Amino acid sequence: MKLKVDKTIVASAALHVLVIGWGVISFSARSLEAPPPESMPVDIISADQLSKITAGTKTGDKNNPKPLVEKVADPKPVDDDAVGKITEKKEIITSSAPQPPPKPVEKPVEKKPDPPKPVAENKPKDEPKPVEKQPDPPKVDPIAEALKSEEAKKPKPKQEAKAAPPQPPKPKQERVFDQTKIAALLDKRDPTRQSITGAALNASASLGTTHGHAATLSQSELDAMRARLASLWNVQPGVEHPEELIVTVRIRLNPDRRLAAPPQVVSTGTSPRYQAAAEAAVRAVLEGQPYNMLRDESYDQWKYMDIDFDPKQMFHS
Amino acid sequence: MSVTSFPLPPLPLDRRRLLIGGAGATAALLLPSLATAQTKLVIPEGNVAPLPIAIPNFVAGSPADGQVGADVAGVITNNLTRSGLFAPIDPAAFIERITDSDKPPNFQSWKTINAQALVIGRMSRQNDGRLKAEFRLWDVASGQQLAGQQYFTAPEYWRRIAHIISDQIYERLTGDKGYFDSRVVFVDESGPSERRVKRLAIMDQDGANVRYLTRGADLVLTPRFSPSTQEITYMEFGQGDPRVYLFNIETGQREIVGNFPGMSFSPRFSPDGQRIVMSLQQGANSNLFVMDLRSKATTRLTDTPAIDTSPCYSPDGSQICFESDRGGKPQIYVMPAAGGTAQRISFSKDDVNATYSTPVWSPRGDYIAFTRQGGGQFSIGLLKPDGSGERILTTGFHNEGPTFAPNGRVVMFFRDPGGNSGPSLFTIDISGRNELKVPTPGFASDPAWSPLLS
Repeated sequence: MKLKVDKTIVASAALHVLVIGWGVISFSARSLEAPPPESMPVDIISADQLSKITAGTKTGDKNNPKPLVEKVADPKPVDDDAVGKITEKKEIITSSAPQPPPKPVEKPVEKKPDPPKPVAENKPKDEPKPVEKQPDPPKVDPIAEALKSEEAKKPKPKQEAKAAPPQPPKPKQERVFDQTKIAALLDKRDPTRQSITGAALNASASLGTTHGHAATLSQSELDAMRARLASLWNVQPGVEHPEELIVTVRIRLNPDRRLAAPPQVVSTGTSPRYQAAAEAAVRAVLEGQPYNMLRDESYDQWKYMDIDFDPKQMFHS
Repeated sequence: MSVTSFPLPPLPLDRRRLLIGGAGATAALLLPSLATAQTKLVIPEGNVAPLPIAIPNFVAGSPADGQVGADVAGVITNNLTRSGLFAPIDPAAFIERITDSDKPPNFQSWKTINAQALVIGRMSRQNDGRLKAEFRLWDVASGQQLAGQQYFTAPEYWRRIAHIISDQIYERLTGDKGYFDSRVVFVDESGPSERRVKRLAIMDQDGANVRYLTRGADLVLTPRFSPSTQEITYMEFGQGDPRVYLFNIETGQREIVGNFPGMSFSPRFSPDGQRIVMSLQQGANSNLFVMDLRSKATTRLTDTPAIDTSPCYSPDGSQICFESDRGGKPQIYVMPAAGGTAQRISFSKDDVNATYSTPVWSPRGDYIAFTRQGGGQFSIGLLKPDGSGERILTTGFHNEGPTFAPNGRVVMFFRDPGGNSGPSLFTIDISGRNELKVPTPGFASDPAWSPLLS
């Protein structure tokens, strides 16, 4: 009595095993380590408040997304944008970020006298605009001017040709002969413009984020680090006078989130119990590496840290 | 049983670690000046978890020392486990096999199994017949040697060596003195409950080396250790009234303390071991007296129409806590060691009818342990000498007779489940954690912990 085995079933079984086996191996990858998202402040409000607020926030919401974009793109579209929109931006800037407003206030006053001489010649018609243009690109003055001049080319090529004649005239004389060379030069300008604007975009974006959140360690980052250290910090039950055993450990972290140097105990205590407590704290800090919950953007904030290991609350009685 | 000890010098660091150490030192010098605006993080809560420690078998100096090497590591492992503060790692998980205790271990292989501390040792028989024990305690995370000692003793005292090494490890990692090199005297109980034979017995704190001190002809109660560890005092029912006896553990000699009419009971040594404080019966009442063991001079400490008993000195000898029913029910009082006004310190918040008894002062002075009776339950608890901070460690049908470990961090007591069974000894951390039964050959009660032997 031989068992008849259907080859197709064997093949099917083998195939299933293969596929499942492949899946087991390939899908069992390490879980991705994602930094925890920043915590959002949440206010609880009543329906009345909501109805009142929504009226206000409608504009706010509309404004909020725009300013972010506009800020980022400020140097570019200044010329294109209408005057009305710019006034909206101002409101948003003052409300969202406290730092920007002083700049426009100070600089326009200084620049108003300055620009008239060089710029007034080029753009007498844009009287309302200069006020906005100047506050925005104060640090990037040469770039901004270049951008303005370049972008101004499109609507008003004649004026700008006058403004920026020194360079082009020479090449014109030479390059008139080879059209391909002019094209090559033009091509080069475009990427340079783009790269500049790109850099400007990044810079303004990073500034924006620093104003927004990134400059300070988010609560969730600190919480995550605190939780990590708390889970590794061994506290002895029943130790005498735990209130005396507060240990402060100073650490310096590398951008890879590992210690750049051995942790340093900066608090002082002489008893053997304190020494043991200090060693336990250092052990926790050493074991906690790497601190993957910390974000790159806030490196300046977590480069140096003082960590207090305070067992007081654990032993109320 | 003499044990001589010498510190082991730290091993020379290899070059790589020297470099790391140097870099660390320079970085540490730079840190304070650079760190001006660093983030401050407060960790308000830690992990009350035992410290993972690896204790591989001690290396054998000669093939004949293999067994003792394993035994010593076993006793250390058991001690540290029972303390509740350490979690010795299963040797099956060890990656590195230690064959030379004079070489620094490969710390990475111990980090891998999450060991935070590592104990490496060697046992070797000397030409003069003595046993040499060496050990080093390593911090795995930093790769530093935290402690190193070598000991010489007679081979039969290997267990004591293991306790001493355990104490060294405990002290270095917790900052508190250990308590493993100590003994416990207790009342061994055997036979049926109606005809119980009670014998005085002594054992190591981990339950090993049990030795019987009396034959069980007479009933014995409340043994107490002298701070000198060579003598105990206890109460024994002889032919007449119960008497307080003094017993020399080494010589086996015993004598009656004083010659008083009526009962004398509930004795305890003063911290200097020169005096015994006890209760003397006077009619239906009893008062506290102190007797100088050299001059035999006896001084009265209390004079009340009540039962004053269970006196215990504070570790500095300046005060005495005791039990008295002068207020109607047994409560705990504290008074100056020379007698005087006594302050009641036990006040139950949740049970006005609760009574307090068997007070005993912690060797580190911060707590008084007691037995509390109320609501049909017996509890073991702690309160501060000023009466504040009462905490109950354990509650049950019958718990009684607390005694502190030499470092004041563990309390031993006895528990009787009732019925036909008998009492057993238990230990519990003063934080209320880690309740453990102490192995004894039979039923056991009335434990008294000795001071450290060394």
